[in-house]
Amino acid sequence: MALLVDLFAYLSVILHGLVIVAQSMMLGGLLFLCFLLHPLSSLLPDGGALEQRVLRLTRWSAAGLFLAELAATALQVTALMSTVGLPFSNVMQASFALSGSAKIACALVIALCLNRRTLARPVARTALLLVGFLTLVAATMTTHAFARMDHNALLLVVAGLHQFGAAIWIGGIPSFVLVLRHLHDGQGLAQVGSRFSRMSMLGVACILASGVIMCVFYIGDAQGFYGTAYGVMVSAKIAMFLALLVLGLGNFTVTERLRQGRDAPVLRMRRFAEVEIGIGFTIFFAAASLTSVPPAIDLTSDRVTLHEIAVRNAPAWPRFHSPDHDALAISQLQVQLDREAAHMQMAAPAATVPGSGEPPPRNAQDIAWSEYNHHWAGVFVVLIGLLALLNRAGVGWARHWPLLFLLLAGFLLVRSDPEVWPLGQENWWAAWRDVEVTQHRLFVLLIILFGVFEWSVRTGRLRSERAALVFPLLVAVGGAMLLTHNHQIANVKDQLLVELTHTPLALAGVAAGWSRWLELRLPGRGGRIAGYVWPACFLLIGLILLWYREA
Amino acid sequence: MRRCRRFVILSLAVAAAVASVGASAHAVLLDSTPKAHGALPAGHTQVVLKYNSKIDQARSRLVLVAPDHSETTLAITADGDKPNELDSTADLKPGNYTLHWQALALDGHLTRGDLPFTVTAAP
Repeated sequence: MALLVDLFAYLSVILHGLVIVAQSMMLGGLLFLCFLLHPLSSLLPDGGALEQRVLRLTRWSAAGLFLAELAATALQVTALMSTVGLPFSNVMQASFALSGSAKIACALVIALCLNRRTLARPVARTALLLVGFLTLVAATMTTHAFARMDHNALLLVVAGLHQFGAAIWIGGIPSFVLVLRHLHDGQGLAQVGSRFSRMSMLGVACILASGVIMCVFYIGDAQGFYGTAYGVMVSAKIAMFLALLVLGLGNFTVTERLRQGRDAPVLRMRRFAEVEIGIGFTIFFAAASLTSVPPAIDLTSDRVTLHEIAVRNAPAWPRFHSPDHDALAISQLQVQLDREAAHMQMAAPAATVPGSGEPPPRNAQDIAWSEYNHHWAGVFVVLIGLLALLNRAGVGWARHWPLLFLLLAGFLLVRSDPEVWPLGQENWWAAWRDVEVTQHRLFVLLIILFGVFEWSVRTGRLRSERAALVFPLLVAVGGAMLLTHNHQIANVKDQLLVELTHTPLALAGVAAGWSRWLELRLPGRGGRIAGYVWPACFLLIGLILLWYREA
Repeated sequence: MRRCRRFVILSLAVAAAVASVGASAHAVLLDSTPKAHGALPAGHTQVVLKYNSKIDQARSRLVLVAPDHSETTLAITADGDKPNELDSTADLKPGNYTLHWQALALDGHLTRGDLPFTVTAAP
């Protein structure tokens, strides 16, 4: 049962993230069509074709929401049926199943009924907006607000406002980018740009107002921000929200110049909007992860203090000497179990059972083992950052820096989970049942993938423009993964102190990925600046890793 | 070119599929009778688990593991006035027990936990 619930939690966050992305794109697309593109389409050159493109995107988003919500609800229903032993008809009456079913039905209606004809009729258009509103209402029923003991009504309205803000702004950006790609008329760009700016401002206002209220009710005080997993995740969301605001401000200046009939860097606006989509979706996955942790205000014990953070991060020389594998807690436990079994003349049980839900034992040597891993990873990443900078400055041989990623991947594969093959007794395949081991292996796969792609691109083996984008995309996705990665450490405080180091690493990863994206996609000064930003982010990641402590 | 694009899409799909993890507790156990690692006398006992959020009582579960490792599913009393509680009763004999609980919060999040406690001989 423990494995099933852990796997359920793992998959449900992923699916929930996909649901938020699809829901925001569907609602954002619908609002973009009803309040921007449809009223302007007769004024724009090829307005009908543009409308058709955004209609298609919105319908696909609705289909995506249909599938993601269906999978998420089915997973939840299955987990509940198999762990509590209730029949399907009973589980389908649970509030999450009802709201999931409502969202599935709404998505299906929009996917099937949204077209140029319905968009042109005021009654049909209003009905579609109403279906969108129902989606939003159903979505708020699966937020923290619905299960709160107090202030339910207020918190439900606030949660709805937050999701509406995210939909109209971040969810609308893919439609905006699509229009920017196909619209080349200056006056048309000015009209679309300035109207989308106003819609975005409304979205930002909704997010800001609801965000402040949620911070008051769910976090409560300053210690809630730095002393709990919920607060740390919200802080990361706020940091990314600020980055979006900076990019949005850049785009606002472009639309203002266009509105005044002056020359404006439209391509920059498009590229910035692409990055906004990436960071916005990262925020959605962070939000999905946030729904699985209890609000900070409910955690009155096991909070981390500033003093504990300062003690943990006191400067110390990196650890470049590894403890012996036999000194680790799991090895010592296995020796003890073997000895006891031999005494009783029976087969010795394994010291750890993958997927049992029990955190593995830890001692001081385990901590030293983990710090050694992080510090050597830091050396690799600092070298990568330095060589990338040298390559940027014109040193030819430094272009082979992505090969260091392969060394890093090999190092992590061997050392990340000492209880697993090749160092430990645990079978390679059986270890996939352990959620943390699975995450580590997927990280390794990601590192290998972006190392190979970037090296192939830099050495001319891959000449496709799209192949060059794999590295930034995977680095950004890796940052998003790290943002929501958690460690199975029994002590809640220790776990949070580890997360506190990983959060800036994740944010630097997201920043590195998207600045490299800009370097590739944005010609001129902006791209050149971005070309120095991402190696600097790698240097920062390396230095944070060298600073890393677990005790 | 086409193969490369397919590979990119596949890589991204894999990456997106693992882009998020978070198996932490959602419903927080605020208080309980018996207390975790606490002791109580043998006999007919009220079991009360109090959470930070509203719980779907009909779709949650309490399993009592007795000292001989036998498992009993406890019937949960539905009580609309105490929406954040899982209440039940059990007849306990001296020994070490564990209460496995699984709570479905009203917003759809499943959380599980263990509550170990000791039953002493009745005075």
